[in-house]
Amino acid sequence: MLTALAPVRPSNLAGLASLMAGPRPVHFIAGGTDLLVSGRRLPETGVIVDLSAVAELIGIDCSGADIRIGSATTVASLEAHAGLAARCAALAQAAAECGSVQIRNRATIGGNVANGAAAADLIPVLALVGARLEVMLRGGVRTEIALGDFQPKTGGLITAVVLPGRALLPRSAFAKLGARRDLTISRLNMAATAEFVESRFRALQIVAGALGPRPLRLNRAEEALEGRTLDPDSLRGFMQVLSTEVDAAIPGRASHAWKRRAIRGVGLDLIARLCGLSPRDPVFEEAL
Amino acid sequence: MEQVSQRIPLIDAAEKLTGRLRFAADMTLPGLLHGAFLFSPRAHARIVEVDPAGALAVSGVIGVWWHANTPQNSYNSSIWFAGQKALADERMFPPVVRHMGDRVAVVLAETEAIARAAVTRIVVSFEDLPAILTPEPTVAHAVAAAGVEEAIYPDPVEQVHFTHGDPDAAFARADHVTEAVVYTPRSHHCAIEPHVCVAWPEPGGRVAIHSPCQSVYAVQAVVAQALGIAADRLHVTKAPIGGSFGGKAEPILEPICALLAERTGRPVRIAFNRHETFTATRTRAASRGKMRIALACDGRILGRETDVTVDIGAYCTGGNYLPGSMLQRLVRLYAVPAERYRGRAVYTNTLPTGAFRGYGSPQIHALGEIVLDLASREMGLDPVAVRARNIVTPGALEPWQGLSLGNARGADCLHRGAEAFDWTRRRSAASGRGRFRTGVGMAAATHINGCFPGEDEATTATLRLTPEGRIELTCALHDLGCGSDTTLAQIAAEVLGLRAADIRITPADTDTCPYDLGTRASRMTYIAGEAVRLAATALAAAIVDTGGQALNAARSEIRLRGGQIEAPHRAITFADLAAWLSVRGTDTPSATHTHRATANPGSYAAHFAEVEVDTLTGHIRVRDYLAAHDIGRAINPMLVEGQIYGGIQIGMGYALYEDAAVDPKTGRMRADSFTRYTLVNAPEMPPIRILLVEEGEATGPFGAKAVGEIATIPVAPAVVNAVNHALETRLTELPLLPERVLDALGQGSSS
Repeated sequence: MLTALAPVRPSNLAGLASLMAGPRPVHFIAGGTDLLVSGRRLPETGVIVDLSAVAELIGIDCSGADIRIGSATTVASLEAHAGLAARCAALAQAAAECGSVQIRNRATIGGNVANGAAAADLIPVLALVGARLEVMLRGGVRTEIALGDFQPKTGGLITAVVLPGRALLPRSAFAKLGARRDLTISRLNMAATAEFVESRFRALQIVAGALGPRPLRLNRAEEALEGRTLDPDSLRGFMQVLSTEVDAAIPGRASHAWKRRAIRGVGLDLIARLCGLSPRDPVFEEAL
Repeated sequence: MEQVSQRIPLIDAAEKLTGRLRFAADMTLPGLLHGAFLFSPRAHARIVEVDPAGALAVSGVIGVWWHANTPQNSYNSSIWFAGQKALADERMFPPVVRHMGDRVAVVLAETEAIARAAVTRIVVSFEDLPAILTPEPTVAHAVAAAGVEEAIYPDPVEQVHFTHGDPDAAFARADHVTEAVVYTPRSHHCAIEPHVCVAWPEPGGRVAIHSPCQSVYAVQAVVAQALGIAADRLHVTKAPIGGSFGGKAEPILEPICALLAERTGRPVRIAFNRHETFTATRTRAASRGKMRIALACDGRILGRETDVTVDIGAYCTGGNYLPGSMLQRLVRLYAVPAERYRGRAVYTNTLPTGAFRGYGSPQIHALGEIVLDLASREMGLDPVAVRARNIVTPGALEPWQGLSLGNARGADCLHRGAEAFDWTRRRSAASGRGRFRTGVGMAAATHINGCFPGEDEATTATLRLTPEGRIELTCALHDLGCGSDTTLAQIAAEVLGLRAADIRITPADTDTCPYDLGTRASRMTYIAGEAVRLAATALAAAIVDTGGQALNAARSEIRLRGGQIEAPHRAITFADLAAWLSVRGTDTPSATHTHRATANPGSYAAHFAEVEVDTLTGHIRVRDYLAAHDIGRAINPMLVEGQIYGGIQIGMGYALYEDAAVDPKTGRMRADSFTRYTLVNAPEMPPIRILLVEEGEATGPFGAKAVGEIATIPVAPAVVNAVNHALETRLTELPLLPERVLDALGQGSSS
């Protein structure tokens, strides 16, 4: 059976815009790590547009106040970028734990957003820092929207992800728990950002992934540490609140009992990373 | 030794690495048709009607076959020779489907895409029947089966009772009794190559079948039974195989592929995708085992009671052998003076089970080794010392079949392994009270070497000098990717003074190779290896004879060395000898030897693991590992190590992650893809040290014994025992999922 799906590989944004303006249905593919997985149905008709050669969609620009990341930038590039790691360690850490080496080499940040999986590893970090998306609509109009406003499958193309500079605090971190360590889907992940003023947590924000269809802001957990120093007492309170956050998010789910406990481990890993410590540091052991 | 004991690369490595090796799925034939199946979405249902019209209307579709237009001969896919008695309850397309994934219909089309698209247009109506999805309600089995005339559900399918000595007296005088129940999961082979078969018509009304299999003769016997035709109308050849681990031991696609080739007169290919390989082939049977052990205060096992139930799924296959196999392996590890054993195999409306690396041994040794470990802990005794006190000694007779266990060197594995692992110091180190706790654990295991005392345990090997001067080995050999061809070539080459690469091994072929059981029961090195060694010895004698004539030398002066036939001060190559004989119109020498097994010695192993458990998340990391193996002699230490590495990978998955469980409410396999079925991948693998005990086995080739299956058997109990040591828990339900670990710590659902 011949497929009516035609592949094209534009090399610049202008070519891409003209394809999007055409009469045929347009489907985008970047790394293909979701679309090409056996068992998924490819679209049957239209144009499948390979984004991997569009130069304007690739690259990380940390030179301005905001960080701008082209949507076809690979996860491996995020992982390896020193400038990004310095200003948003959480995103670099999330990138480093996303899929496997092979997947990271292909998968893109735009694809991770567009695919919209509940267990996506980059999304909690993007939600944490209030990332905005540059989107090109059919007809070539470009607009910027909040991450949460993106609607997949509406024909628009994410061209870039923007991390607003004002949200990038001195410290940020990501931690994840899957069935195994590498090439694993998150059963829980968390991202946090904060600054330390006189050794106290300030402006702490925490987001959890895989606790619902969208990243979940953990306000009560933030409050448990806000303004406090890193000490066993603070951590004990923090862990208790994490469990209640899970109780509120997924009551009655099969994974509830495990996640309400396991989130304490992920939470400690997260805070350890945020503080540049090992989770085996005595302060964490004493919190148990 | 020039070849034996050498680390020689696989003789087919270059072909594999360069992509020149053609797997069955790579075959292209003119006019090749492709099949695709419709599988049952019901756990147990009568098929009321099949309407193929929608599928037949698709352009490129050749036909649709289901129970109404295919032979309804009952067969058993686990038989390995024609006429073998076995409960024949399987059909190519049954009128009553017995599990989700049972075969309802097949579409044949010009391309696989067309066949798969057309399958979705077949309309089937089912009448649901009561389904038994767990092995416990065995009484309900018979009730559910009543009134279903097509379905035969004897329950249990098989049971084995065995008593040795006086168990009641043993328990009466015991200083300590430990009892526990151990659950082992259903697990899947995960070979890289999914199931595939190609068949085509051959002249004379014959059908050729080319498949990656473990025995061409088993394929021939099963297909002949299913099609109701004479076996010699089937010409079966073994395709290169991309992994099996037992998963391809039973023909699944072959009967249908052959039928369609015969019906259409065209070549037919059927290839499962990954999902189908998970849900419509075979798995390792899940088990529930209860064991009581009676011990004296010094750690001697006085008696043991074992009660095991294995869930063999919806068809008998070879599942009826499991209770007996498990008993056979149980009684070969420790000298237990009083034993009572009861094993049952029961049907459920779930995916059928079959061979998988160890065939009952992983289940029974998980049970025995976890319970013995708990007993040691309760008594405050060292687990290695308890095992060393009870392990069988060289020349011991096992009590069930009365066979000698040969040069059984389990004690060496325990002692040398414990010393190399620094067991005593590490065992006494504190596990910590914090979040991360460390523990060490170990387990011993034994496995068989071949099928003796099965009367057909024999291999016939022919070696001949070809006119081109090469050595050709003809034997129905089935290298499953583990390197058995290389091992056998090394054995032949050692005897003949050649290199392994000089031995050409002909692919297994029912038209040209004598009957063989195939690759199963850890028999390749021990049985086939000895057949090859003896055939090579006979060929060497013949070459010495003719070489003596060619060189005008006495037999006693001739040496086979470095690819040459040497006499003092003169030599000729094998090619020169072949040419010399050809010129004289004389046949080149050949030798055939049938090696009939006379023994079934045990292979032994002791594995040691260190784990770290995260008590907040329940996650387990295996941090260090040592495997000590009684191998007799390693023909190829590199390949032996490869088997052990792979065995540890599979065993760790068995302990920690892998579970192909069927949902007890719906009958659907939950983990039916690599996304949901978690394998141990490279980053999870610990550093592994391997210690080979090479004390020789008199009945094996150059003293060799098997390693392929035993390599995975002690792994799961060693890891579980290490976790129980770290946490002071009694975890006995495999795999040790994080939820189960937290439950055991009192931090799970109850807290």
